[in-house]
Order: sequence, then structure tokens, then C-alpha cells
Amino acid sequence: MGQPALDPEEVLERLKAEHRTLFWEPLQPNMIRRTKDNEQARNRGSLEFLHHHWALPDHFDPAVAGGGLRGKIVTLFGRLTYRVLGPYLRQERDLLAHMVRVNEALERRCDELTLRCQQLNQDFLDRQVAEARNLAELALWLHLEPPAVAAATVSPAATTAGRHGKDGADQKDAASAP
Amino acid sequence: MTVTPTADGRRLRPVVALLAAHWESKTEEGWITRQVAGALAWVADVHVITPEGSTAGTSTDSVFTLHRMATPIEPAAELRRDLLIEGLSETGASGDVLGSPELSSLLDQGLVGPWGDASDILSALQPDLAVIAGHQDVGALNAVDRHDPGLPVTLLALGADAESIAFPHFASVFARADTVLAVTESERMAIVEHHGRPDAVRRIGAPLSANPSALSEPNGWVGDTGYLLVLTGVDSEDEEHPEYELSRVLRLSFPDRPVGITHTDAFCAWHGGRLNEGWPIERSSDLARLMAWARITVDLRPGRLFARRCVDSLLYGTPIVVPADSRAREHAQRGRGGLWFENPAELAWCVESLLEPPTHDTISAQGLSYAEEEYGSTDRFVERVAEACGLTPATAPVAVTT
Repeated sequence: MGQPALDPEEVLERLKAEHRTLFWEPLQPNMIRRTKDNEQARNRGSLEFLHHHWALPDHFDPAVAGGGLRGKIVTLFGRLTYRVLGPYLRQERDLLAHMVRVNEALERRCDELTLRCQQLNQDFLDRQVAEARNLAELALWLHLEPPAVAAATVSPAATTAGRHGKDGADQKDAASAP
Repeated sequence: MTVTPTADGRRLRPVVALLAAHWESKTEEGWITRQVAGALAWVADVHVITPEGSTAGTSTDSVFTLHRMATPIEPAAELRRDLLIEGLSETGASGDVLGSPELSSLLDQGLVGPWGDASDILSALQPDLAVIAGHQDVGALNAVDRHDPGLPVTLLALGADAESIAFPHFASVFARADTVLAVTESERMAIVEHHGRPDAVRRIGAPLSANPSALSEPNGWVGDTGYLLVLTGVDSEDEEHPEYELSRVLRLSFPDRPVGITHTDAFCAWHGGRLNEGWPIERSSDLARLMAWARITVDLRPGRLFARRCVDSLLYGTPIVVPADSRAREHAQRGRGGLWFENPAELAWCVESLLEPPTHDTISAQGLSYAEEEYGSTDRFVERVAEACGLTPATAPVAVTT
């Protein structure tokens, strides 16, 4: 054998040592936290209660007064009270109705905003993952050293093929059995 | 080994019964089985017993007498066995589980039964030696023991993966064998590590040679010379596969270098970003010519038993770059005929380093010397096999040397 012997293990060690100082890796993106359904601002129990109880009574019910003279007096007094307070009670009912509607609208809006926030968070994470992947490719290229050479010499067609794989149908010559 | 005479006392050569679950040469395991049988045929009468065949019977196959039992082993049974081994090895099952009768029964299901008639054939042959091809063939060993528990046994291990070699269920096959034949040093070391008896485990290599016609004329599919040859086992459209990604890294890392990539469905020749796509490589002579004139062969999926393509490449003086966790690493490391990688960056460095003329020429010469010494001689292969099996090659024909 004319050449001095070469130990592949030593060659590999030398290669690793030469490239070790240049090694760089991008940060990995955060773990993606999936959306949970219960994160929305739904509190249907309380809202249902408001829907069923916003209409307070606007007249006196004689059935609750009982019978006899005492009942007649209570009924008379009750009707008188409701007649006097009637305008106020109707205004209060309207007020409560509007408050329930506002609460319902607020709940819908809160849910919409929550969903929007979650979607934005997801979009942000997706973008972060895509950028990390892109940086990983860049890191590999920097690690391999050829970008300067490749950028200067590789044709655009080759670059496209590199980025997207064998998708450049126009690059392919007609299939010819070599 | 003493030759047992037959009743009429006319037995001149030993009789060897080779029990093989499969008798074909499409895989590395099948190919080396036939080569071992061929080596034994120089010094003995070789009878091949196999469950294969559609009709039972005896026929002549080249220099062998072939006994087909027509009880072929179902591929599903072998797949189940392989999955069980892989699964249990992966989960680190305890010794109690691995040695349980239930697991043994499940492992052997559909694999022992097809060997039922083999003991009758052995009784009729009265062989001097039984050779079992494959350490997983418990059924073949059972057939031998039913015939004669004292019959000398040689095991051709065919240990393509360490998990299977280490699996306790097959320990009885290794223990029963007087001699165990391993193709590579890695395989030999794995067997010795788990089953001991280093003196009984012999490395036999393989009989390979460079095809002279491949060296006489380049293939021309990629270029006359100086190109990278990348061997994959994936489809040309399978862009998500790691082997495809690695081949892409190579062709983009070396834009000025022609790169030929073999896929299962096509051969892709890249020149500076332009692709010429042709028919897939199917003939071994075409692959030989490509390897013979390549600057470097990168085998991304070497053969699991002994990485035959890599040895072929070394025989043509073409250095190799192979995955670190493959059997081919032995040829690069022990044979000093190439480099090995663990990640894409290392792959590119290895190729870049081997493209440098001084490194390339030295590694090329070292690899060629190793391949010729360990794999390049049929005579030495025959001697190694015969000696390991205790058969004297004295009766072998004299090799033609001129």
C-alpha cells in the first residue's frame, strides 16, 4: 500500500472536533397547549336562573291572603299596595329584563373573545413551530457550510427542488432510461 | 469427523443434512445459506431439507439433493414471531415472561409443525452432520433431536439483529450446536456476548468477487466517474422518509458533483439541480457498474446480515459511507474502508472528507485490501466453512489457479 494507513475513527473524531465549535441549534418552540372547552366564559346556570326569575310579580295574588275577615283585609291592603307601587314595579321589571339581556350579550361576547384569544395563541404557536423548523433547516445548512457555495452556484431550479422536493416538473427532462 | 458407512459400506464422503426454512437467494440470509451449502458440497454430499414446495419430493438442485416437504411456513407465523421478539425486547420483559411456556408456545406457533416430516428424512439419510440455517428454527432442531439427539449440529446463525440473538427462547439452539457460524465479526461478537463459547463461534465471511466486466466500462447513467452513488430503499415520491431526506441533503450539499440515487421505483441522476429519471436498478450487473465507477457509495439501507452491497463496493475500490447503527459499519470501521454517520451533518462531513483525494485513495486501498482478504476468495470461504464444520477439504477438487 503506497499511502500511510488511515484510521476512520480518527478521521471521524477530527471531523467532529472541527465542526463542534460552529454547532448551533434554534430554540425549540413551547409545548403546544390545546384548547379546553371549559376555558370559555360560560356560566349557564346563573344565566338560566336570571331568565326564569327576572319577571317579578306585578299584582297581588289573593290566594296567598287566606280566607275570612283577615284574608279580606290582607287582600284589600295588598291590592292597594300594588296599585300604588305599580309604576315603580313595571319600571323595575323593564330594568331587570334589560340587565338579563345585557348579561346574555356579555356572555356571548366573552366567549367570542376567548375563542379569538385561543385562535390567536394557536396561530402564534403554529408560526413559532414553522419558524423553528425553518431555523433548524438554516442551522443545518450553516452547519454543513455550503450555503455560500450553493447560493452562488446552484440554479434557481435546483433551489426550488431543494425546498420543495422533486416538484419541479419543468425541471425534469423527459424520462429517459439512462 | 468420521464418515459413517452405509449398510453396504460404500459411503465415501460425509453426508450433510442442511435444514433451511427457505431455500432461495433473494435475501442475504437465503444467499449465504446457499453459499454455505455450496461450500459444504466440496467436501460432502449435501442434502437440503426444507418445508417449502407445493408437492413433497426429492429432486436435484445443482450439486445438492433437495428434499421438499411441501409444508411451507406461513409468512404470518414468522411475522408474529418477529413482532413478539421486537415488542418484548422493546418493553424489557422480565425473565419469567420470556421463559414462560405460554410465550414459547406462541413464538413457535406455526413454525415447528412444518418440520414434522424432517426427522423421517433424516432417518433415511443417516447424515454425519446436521446444519441448521437460522437460530430461530427451533422446529429444525427438534426434528434433528427426534432423529438422533447425539448428531453433531452446526448452526448457521443468520443473526441479523442483536435482539433476536439475545432472545432466551433461542438459547437452546445455540447451546445444542457444536459450532456456530457467523458471517461478520459483529454477528460473532453478539453471539459470544449472549451465549458464550467464543471458540465454538466461527466467522466465515462470504464468497464475493468483483465482476471484471463492471470495471471495463462505466455505466454512464450518472457520468463516467467521480459521482456519488446513493443507495436507498424508498420510493422516489416518498419525500417524508428519512432516507429520502438524507439523499436530498447529499445532492444539495454537493451541487457541483453528479449524484445518482437509487429508489425502488426509479433511478435519479442529478446534475447541478437537473434531474434525469430512469428505470430502477434491477440487474446486479448494472449496480456493479455504478459502484465500480462511483467516487463514493453511500448505502442508506445496507443489508441486515452482512451488508453485501457495501462489500461489493469495497471490492471495486469505492469507499463507503453507512449508518452507524448498521452491520455495514463493520466494513467501514474494522475494514477501514469508509466512514459512518449518526446524523445528516455527519453524513455530509463524511462524504466531503472522502472526496478529498488523499483520504479517498487511502481509504479506498484499505477497503479493497480488507474486502479481498475477508470476502474475496471462494477457496478461503470453503476452507473456513469446512474447517468450522469439522469436515476435511482433502477430498475437494483442486482449484484452478491459472
